[in-house]
Amino acid sequence: MAHGGLEYVLLLDDWTTYPGIPYRQGAFAMSLAIGYRNVSRRFGVTQALASINFEVAAGEFVALVGPSGCGKSTLLRLAADLDQPSTGTVHIGDQPPSEARRQLKIGLVSQRPAVLPWKRAVEDVRVTQRITRRNQFDAAALLADFGLGEHQMKLPRQLSGGMLQRVNFASAIAHDPDVLLMDEPFSALDEMKREELGIWLGETLRRRPKTTLFVTHHIDEAVMLADRVLVFSPAPGRIIADIAVETPRPRRADFRADPKFVELTARIRHLLFDTPFQVMTA
Amino acid sequence: MTFQTATGLETSGKTSRVRLVVPVLAIASRLLRIALPILSILGFWYLAILLSGLPEFVIPRPEQVLATLIADREMIWQHLLLTLSAALLGFVCANLVGIGLAMILTLLPMLRSLVMPTAVAIRNVPYVALATVLALASGDNMVSKVTIISIAGFFPVLVNTVRGLQSVDQVVLDRMHVLNAGPWRVFWQVRMPYALPFIIAAQEIVGSSSIVVAVAAEWMISSSGLGFVINRAMAQYRGDQVYAVALLAALMSFGIYMFLQFVSRRVSWNSYR
Repeated sequence: MAHGGLEYVLLLDDWTTYPGIPYRQGAFAMSLAIGYRNVSRRFGVTQALASINFEVAAGEFVALVGPSGCGKSTLLRLAADLDQPSTGTVHIGDQPPSEARRQLKIGLVSQRPAVLPWKRAVEDVRVTQRITRRNQFDAAALLADFGLGEHQMKLPRQLSGGMLQRVNFASAIAHDPDVLLMDEPFSALDEMKREELGIWLGETLRRRPKTTLFVTHHIDEAVMLADRVLVFSPAPGRIIADIAVETPRPRRADFRADPKFVELTARIRHLLFDTPFQVMTA
Repeated sequence: MTFQTATGLETSGKTSRVRLVVPVLAIASRLLRIALPILSILGFWYLAILLSGLPEFVIPRPEQVLATLIADREMIWQHLLLTLSAALLGFVCANLVGIGLAMILTLLPMLRSLVMPTAVAIRNVPYVALATVLALASGDNMVSKVTIISIAGFFPVLVNTVRGLQSVDQVVLDRMHVLNAGPWRVFWQVRMPYALPFIIAAQEIVGSSSIVVAVAAEWMISSSGLGFVINRAMAQYRGDQVYAVALLAALMSFGIYMFLQFVSRRVSWNSYR
């Protein structure tokens, strides 16, 4: 093996269900697990995903990283009931995604903010609450909690990218869903904003824990935020590694300088960029 | 210290003068903005009379037209009301048909290939032919006028509304799906607001053209309205009446355009502040 440390790298054949990190269980009795069993997805002749098996334990934060077009966003759409697998099953708790969606258990955070251009920030959060008929959170308080207190009466085009993504996040969780599906939420932001929002997300999830599936193509971001990082091969997407980040969440900004962080990001980088060569020489 | 005081005094003197000058300039520029177009139209009018050498019944002088407007005001007012009501009814019908069809085509996309070719065909039939057929079918009345105006107007509304209803951002539709929003709610609370600026843009086209089309339809088939007045005046060599009516129609058309722009700035969400 070119690289050691197999304790982090599990090949697909050795797939096991992770129990999640013990100290978190119990606190999240309300959260639900997300599971993929033998999932594949084909678009015409293109195989986007090939036999995907993994589970996100209740309350766990799992990041999916991989090259563009490896099907990680498709995987997320399957859990959101926005797409159907060609084979295999996806479940949220013990239900199919369609049922979980009907019971309002899903929160979706898109890459481009899914806000209504004519609604002021606080109104947009209320749109979610009106549609779902769930308003246990006060919309204004939620925004204030997200550092948008003085911006809540602004229209989307009056907000900066970072603020807009926070509004998007508030609107996505205003009905208090059990699972959070995030599709490259910070990828349109600059590096500094991305790091700032990463820290903010970690802190927010500490206070409002949710089972989270997080798609990103930023390795640093994945290691910074996730309990586990699943590394995908180029299309057709397969999981080539399942890497646990054992440092408790939320991690502080200085975790980036931690030897563990450096080692993990280097390992993932190696997996992502060297994989094709290994296949070719094999 | 003295230097500072001196500068302070000078500045305050300047601001008080500025305070006086600025509103005067603003009023002057506003007056100019109204006066300039009128002056330029009058200027070109006189120039045309001078250069063309055409007789007075073909190109009367502005003051003559004004005198006719005042002298014949009762007759003109009566016909003006008829034209305006036909234009207004046609405008409303064009919108009902255009927006209604667009909604149906968005909710039932499979109807699109059935309806759109017919809509395009009707839109491209020359109005003269349509007017003739309508005059034969229902005679010289309000129905034929309103029908012609609606046919001329519904197409821009239909096309713009369809485009607007489809302009919804896919991520917003995904959000609505995940939140389990029903199709009815998505249509009224997401698609329609997205379409609103498009629908309003169509009003600016349809609103002013409905007057023009109403006058044209009256000119061809009617025995009432401004178009009819033009027709009759021409037969009597009354160029002054033709110009008077044309001036009124142009003013109304322009007024409607300005009014719709004013409304759209208040209604359309992409001009909210």
